[in-house]
Amino acid sequence: MRIERLSPASYRELIQPDRVHGSLYTEPYVFEDELDKIFHRGWVFVAHDSELPNPGDYITRTVGRQHYLVVRGQDGAVNVFFNRCQHRGNLLCNKPTGNAKSFACPYHGWTFGTGGELMDVPHAGGFEKDWTKLGLEVPRSGSYRGFIFASAAKDGVSLDEHLGRAKELIDRACDLSPTGTLRLTAGWVRHEYGANWKMLPENDTDGYHVGFTHQSFMRAIRSQYDSFVSDEKAIKGVIRDWGNGHTEIDFAGGYTTPLEWLGTTPEKVPEYVAALEQANGKERAAQLMHLGPPHACIWPNLFLAEMNIVIFQPIAVNKSVQWHTPMLLEGAETLDFRLMRQSEGALGPASFLVADDASIAERTQQALEAGDPWCDLSRGMNREEVDERGVRSSHMTDETSNRGFWQHYLQVMGG
Amino acid sequence: MSTMTLEEPTVSDAEQHEVTAFVYREARLADEARYADWEALWTDDAVYWVPRAEGHDPNTHVSHIYDNRTRLATRVRQLATGYRYSQEPASPMRRLLSNVEVTRTDDGYEVGSNFILTEIVAQSTHAMRVWAGRSTHRLRRIDGALKLASKKVVLVNGDEAIPTLAFLI
Repeated sequence: MRIERLSPASYRELIQPDRVHGSLYTEPYVFEDELDKIFHRGWVFVAHDSELPNPGDYITRTVGRQHYLVVRGQDGAVNVFFNRCQHRGNLLCNKPTGNAKSFACPYHGWTFGTGGELMDVPHAGGFEKDWTKLGLEVPRSGSYRGFIFASAAKDGVSLDEHLGRAKELIDRACDLSPTGTLRLTAGWVRHEYGANWKMLPENDTDGYHVGFTHQSFMRAIRSQYDSFVSDEKAIKGVIRDWGNGHTEIDFAGGYTTPLEWLGTTPEKVPEYVAALEQANGKERAAQLMHLGPPHACIWPNLFLAEMNIVIFQPIAVNKSVQWHTPMLLEGAETLDFRLMRQSEGALGPASFLVADDASIAERTQQALEAGDPWCDLSRGMNREEVDERGVRSSHMTDETSNRGFWQHYLQVMGG
Repeated sequence: MSTMTLEEPTVSDAEQHEVTAFVYREARLADEARYADWEALWTDDAVYWVPRAEGHDPNTHVSHIYDNRTRLATRVRQLATGYRYSQEPASPMRRLLSNVEVTRTDDGYEVGSNFILTEIVAQSTHAMRVWAGRSTHRLRRIDGALKLASKKVVLVNGDEAIPTLAFLI
């Protein structure tokens, strides 16, 4: 089946409760439609507060085809702008990060302040328009516990509605810091996949592949993941669909010792334990040390990857970039070295885990290029549970997370 | 790009020859996926480091690779399992080394060299990829033989989006 254009109805044909059509990963038209409906109109993660500590600090990021300039203004507030000059559309800022008092366009010298205001138009005698109306364009933006989001659409659901219950997942990450604050200051590794972007969030909340794709890792070293690849009945992890496309693998049920998720024990990191207890009390600290971090995808481009933060970047129908940085904790700086080394071990082009995921994704992309295969998503439909909040859970190896992803996708693309 | 501390050559032609032969051999063993032979080149306190960019500090910047000797052994063990899908089969590859500069250190040599490496992505796309950068080897003489104490590889594109790098760089 080759598709020229898709109507909402055709998405309903291609996305069924128990299977999805392979063309959704390979059709350029689908990709363009996704950029528009998911990455431009919807809410997307753009930056974290800790990446811009001082007034004038800025970051440029591209989401879909939108270029964003995120700046901490002189008043200390974070501003999100479209990164293009209001004159002729030139990419205003070309550096990934930096500090600036103003942004001068290299084309004709129009200059904008850190609050987006147009400050200078060279040779102003020939330009009569009202400067106050020509500040940088501002997308909708908002933040939750330091995570800054933007939407290029003029209107739509609020960030609050979009995040919904996913706030609990962000809380679970932030609460591991004794001050409740994350520090994404170690820089980002960017890993290019020759595969469609949807395979990244799908695979990152797939609890089924761990013992197979990653068996070389399991054979080479003992790790906190060992108990999640045993006999089906012995696996205690839980898969969840939180709604709104937010999905999770919860490993907590399989941890038998506190800080297992950190690959250590409380005795080996006494400063962290003391700081966590001082901030939260012993009981809550013990709970946090048992539960550990979330392993959850926040629709569509943010992944709380245990002690890492990940961004999914769609580049082309068959090309994506997965970004990651270690999730460093304010008030627990003694863990930094450990967290950076764990980050390198798990994620990125040379890692022990994700390098293999990327090769598998590239092989999947190749096979799906045939254009007509269906992908089965039915695993676990026979044993899911839905709680009073509407959160759907099942055995860790079940495809509940991926079905949740696709049902939300269908709502956004074909609703 | 270089971390070389001295501008003028400080080693004899014989030393230059011996040291260059070592880094050529290290390159060939990596190219040919001779994992055990490659691992045997290293000292017990080795560091194998691929930062994202020159000037980075492993205490404050996340890297592509920052292996101590234990992790380096795990890396080799994983490659040898036969299930390391990102290197199954191993990428056919060859690298050229050039611009070799050698300086003497307290216990051996520091060697800077540029490389260009071509790789066939035999695990998935079968595309040919080109990698380039500058390596800094620190060699130590132990019981008369040279051993590899550290290798730092700064890729030209290390701070850009790069594809899977599961082979020995």
